[in-house]
Amino acid sequence: MIERWALVSGLLGDLEAYDLIQRDLKKTRGVTSLFVLGDLVGPERNCDALLDRLKNPHRGDLKPDCIYGWWEEQLLAERGFRGERKADALRLSQGEDAVNALLNTVNPSNLNWLASLQFGFIELDCALIHGSSSDVGDNLTSETSPLILLDRLTRLNVNRLFTARSTKQFHLELTGGGINSQVKDLNGKREQQQEVPKRSVIGIGAGLNYTLYDVGSDKTHFLTAGSKTNPKRKGFA
Amino acid sequence: MNHAIISCLHANLPAAKAVLNDIDRQGIDTITCLGDLVGYGPQPNEVVELIRKRGIATCQGCWDEDIIDGLNACECSYPSQLAERRGHLAHQWTDDQLTDENKSFLASLPTSLRRDRLLFVHGSPNSQHEYLLPDMDAFAALERVETAGADILFCGHTHQPYVRELRDGSIRVRLQNADHECDQGEELTLPMRKIVNAGSVGEPRHGSTNATYVIHNDATDEVEIKEVPYDVGRTCQAIVEAGLPKVFAWRLSHGFEFAEQAEDASHVCER
Repeated sequence: MIERWALVSGLLGDLEAYDLIQRDLKKTRGVTSLFVLGDLVGPERNCDALLDRLKNPHRGDLKPDCIYGWWEEQLLAERGFRGERKADALRLSQGEDAVNALLNTVNPSNLNWLASLQFGFIELDCALIHGSSSDVGDNLTSETSPLILLDRLTRLNVNRLFTARSTKQFHLELTGGGINSQVKDLNGKREQQQEVPKRSVIGIGAGLNYTLYDVGSDKTHFLTAGSKTNPKRKGFA
Repeated sequence: MNHAIISCLHANLPAAKAVLNDIDRQGIDTITCLGDLVGYGPQPNEVVELIRKRGIATCQGCWDEDIIDGLNACECSYPSQLAERRGHLAHQWTDDQLTDENKSFLASLPTSLRRDRLLFVHGSPNSQHEYLLPDMDAFAALERVETAGADILFCGHTHQPYVRELRDGSIRVRLQNADHECDQGEELTLPMRKIVNAGSVGEPRHGSTNATYVIHNDATDEVEIKEVPYDVGRTCQAIVEAGLPKVFAWRLSHGFEFAEQAEDASHVCER
């Protein structure tokens, strides 16, 4: 069977949104895997019901494979799961109130499960990460310099990087180009030429906006749960 | 104007003195040091005090950092487990030898120095532990320089001196997002940038026992890699007498690292 992945992120404790996505996926042909790329939790609402559903899928749910995202990183850091680090990034960007709000949205009984989540998955020649290989908070968008995108791909030696941090949906394909370099050392000079490998960075969206990826054809479909969007119109190969 | 860049002195006083004498003979009075004043070698206090006395602008190397912060880097600090075991021995010995005053000096060093379009770091702008090897992926190498906002990046850490010019680069992209059909694509022209690795004063690994450093002319951007012979035997003897691993003396007398190479230059320390 040809694989089709569903990629979800940024639920921020929103069980209703997750339920809508699951309903969409039941009606969509051929979805073989569901990857939830972090930001399961957030500061706006109690997240325990969603976490329980992710840990204990309902009958008929596509079983989710989850990794941690930026919000989990902040929560776990503040709760002492990251050594001496605290939720510094959150504290700096949104203040002490946001840190306290986040702490109150997750029951401590869920922390060990969140702490067990991985940084990312490597599936086939694809990396599935909340931010990037550089950092869970790496905010890659379609506006990010292609040089940086290529670096993030190169660090993992993958052809496709699925990222969620920006919350945007985009598929940016590196289609060509190259670079020359000359190295001079004590043995002399040598020239090198390198071509840009055909690689892609895909932003999968957040919340109700999610992405389907057809592994065999390398097509992405950007969808919104609960809408009647025709995936064919938004496919991209 | 010519200025000199030195790196990786590694507690080798005869080599440090020889290089500084060579620089002085050329009338160059601007010197930048890219760190790793200590580690492996037998004269850590003497080398730190020489740099302090000369008032040489210095950024912190991975060894300098580890002596202050402890050995908490991930596995990328050493190219192999064998090298790691030897490194830990040298770390403990160096930690025991260094005076508090010299440790304070190492702790005070910045991780980078910048002069206009020139950036000086030990390993890379990302980490003192990242190796920018001469043949690493050219786009990744360019990214390190460009993201740091520099035209020329001076680094050390590999103990292999080189000058790498990255030019005529371009990347073509095609974008699709949720709101728009696929665009026609566009091409980004990449700027020309340079990486200059100063090699190593105190522990060369380029196939010769000579100490290395570089001279850069900031008007012409020409770079000259310099080799300086020094009394290698004297340092080797001091290594053995200090009780440091004898292989440090062996490799100093051969000019290359014993059996290991960093395999993943793109790895960034996740300490």
